Amino acid sequence: DSTGKGLLDFRSHVDASCRYSEEFTNIYYDCMDKKRRTLTRLYLDKATLVWNGNAVSGQAALGEFFESLPSSEFSVQTLDCQPVHELATQGQTTLLVVTAGQVKFDGHKQRYFNQNFLLTAQASPTSDQPVWKIASDCFRFQDWSS
Amino acid sequence: GDNISLGSKLLPGMLFFLCLKPRIPYGKKYNKKWLLTALQNKCSVPFKPVHTEGHKAQFYLEDAFTAHALVRASRQITDSEGPLHASKRDFKWIQCMAKRFDSSQRTLDLNQLRSDPDLVSQNVCPILSRKIFMDAVVKIIEENIPELVHLNLSNNKLYQLDSLADLITSAPHLKALNLSHNQLKTEKVLDRLKGLKLVDLWLEHNPLCDQFKDQPSYISAVRERFPQLVKLDGYDLPLPIVFDVVATSTIPPCKGSYFGSEEIMFLILHFLQQYFSVYDSGDRQPLLNAYHDGATFSLSQPSSQSLSREYHKDSRNLKHLKDPSTRFRLLKHTRLNVVALLNKLPKTQHDIASFNIDVNTHTSMLLSFTVSGVFKEVEGAFQDGVRAFSRVFIAVPAGNSGLCIVNDQLFVRIATMEEICSAFATPAPTPSSSLVPALSTPKQEMLSTFSLKSGMNLEWSQKCLQDNNWDFNIAAQIFTQLKVTNLECIFRL
Repeated sequence: DSTGKGLLDFRSHVDASCRYSEEFTNIYYDCMDKKRRTLTRLYLDKATLVWNGNAVSGQAALGEFFESLPSSEFSVQTLDCQPVHELATQGQTTLLVVTAGQVKFDGHKQRYFNQNFLLTAQASPTSDQPVWKIASDCFRFQDWSS
Repeated sequence: GDNISLGSKLLPGMLFFLCLKPRIPYGKKYNKKWLLTALQNKCSVPFKPVHTEGHKAQFYLEDAFTAHALVRASRQITDSEGPLHASKRDFKWIQCMAKRFDSSQRTLDLNQLRSDPDLVSQNVCPILSRKIFMDAVVKIIEENIPELVHLNLSNNKLYQLDSLADLITSAPHLKALNLSHNQLKTEKVLDRLKGLKLVDLWLEHNPLCDQFKDQPSYISAVRERFPQLVKLDGYDLPLPIVFDVVATSTIPPCKGSYFGSEEIMFLILHFLQQYFSVYDSGDRQPLLNAYHDGATFSLSQPSSQSLSREYHKDSRNLKHLKDPSTRFRLLKHTRLNVVALLNKLPKTQHDIASFNIDVNTHTSMLLSFTVSGVFKEVEGAFQDGVRAFSRVFIAVPAGNSGLCIVNDQLFVRIATMEEICSAFATPAPTPSSSLVPALSTPKQEMLSTFSLKSGMNLEWSQKCLQDNNWDFNIAAQIFTQLKVTNLECIFRL
């Protein structure tokens, strides 16, 4: 029956999302800490970042922004993810990834942060396999107002 | 310096000074070995004498209990003259050190401590070269004067600096250290202090100084351990030449809510007003109308914190949760399951004024925003406990310019001290509340006008005005620009 198949699809969708979000988190924060110059490659051309209330959008601005941040040491302590409902994405496979943990920027004290991403599967010009790209990124220190 | 009372903090490992006097003043010197053996046989508690001196047999012990036991034991030991006489004395380090601390200069002068008249009069002999004494000194510094800048340890027969290594973390502001007139034999002892950001160091009259063939190699060896040193043995050193490395860039200043546009701001504020008024009402069932049929919800909390059982039970942290079935089970799917879980979560009262909203994405099909703030638990074992949250909503447009939630992810943690202090501190919108100060009259007027024009209730209108610093011009701009009719009735509850 169609409902049964639908549930199976949803279950495998959720399973896959979890695995993707784990892989993404490892790649993203490793890149952020160790290969900062290549970080913008993970973002869509027209991706948007809201970083402690500062809005940054487009590859060029993102590149400049990440360049301006001191070197970082991230430690992710909480991770959750959900497949985004297709109604919101016009059929484009999208993943909501939510992280929390601690980060130490060089020259600053260690702070707790919350972050969430919308990842969207894009066709790759260079391979058959679709590729995940960050469509939006929202980052905030837990104590941003202090 | 000042006579500062450093308080009477009991030092773990406080030293007790046990003095066994022979009864006959000119009596024979006791054979130390005999005495120790006799004591060990009689004493119910194992002990390790730290120091024994001459015929007075002084023992330094670490705790009152052992000292007591030893005193009792000693009374059972007799020599030809009868039982030994033992007395127990507390050795109050703290008072002694207090007299030697100058708070205006943040200097602690422990030069030649064994000659200190107070200690001599108590017949006490603090030997800083012994680890147990130096450890005690470092502990006192850590607990009482972590702001220490200058430390003088000259003339104390020091031959190693192992205990001082802890100063790197206990006294992070320590800049000047005097180790002159001691027994430090080689430059290697300085390695223990690498990490101390010393600017001024005295080392003269230590055997290690004679090991260098000339002044420059002496300076070089010392500077290797303390690169920021500018004064050695009282002499100014040539300033070190540094590299202009772009050491630290600054992080951009943190700002408040980011909406992207005023229309979105009102859309979201109206939505949140209605959402949280139901959420805090005690019955969350009406929230069914806020969610899409196929909506998903999950929550997570930091694994190291213990929040209410309901949060803990359903916490979905993929970092620690690996079983695929559990991962699936904890993702609530369909609005019935979503609201069922929401209804099980403890009753809350959110502090609207604390809310911060970031709009991540806005397309014609999707609006994604993150709300963060604080709430308190209003019932149960954790009543009045303040929590901080970060919640991501993904919504699609609904009829009547409303929003319909398709994804909802909630992160909850215990609020920090700072958050607790500033929570629920906003003046009440109306003068009725007795606990918080009321708004001034001009603000109250601005508030009612704004509320009328924007269609938001007083609490949310106040939040909006507060976030814009009660600037009437901004407020006026906001509500003349927007078309109120588009924002009414966000969704039917």
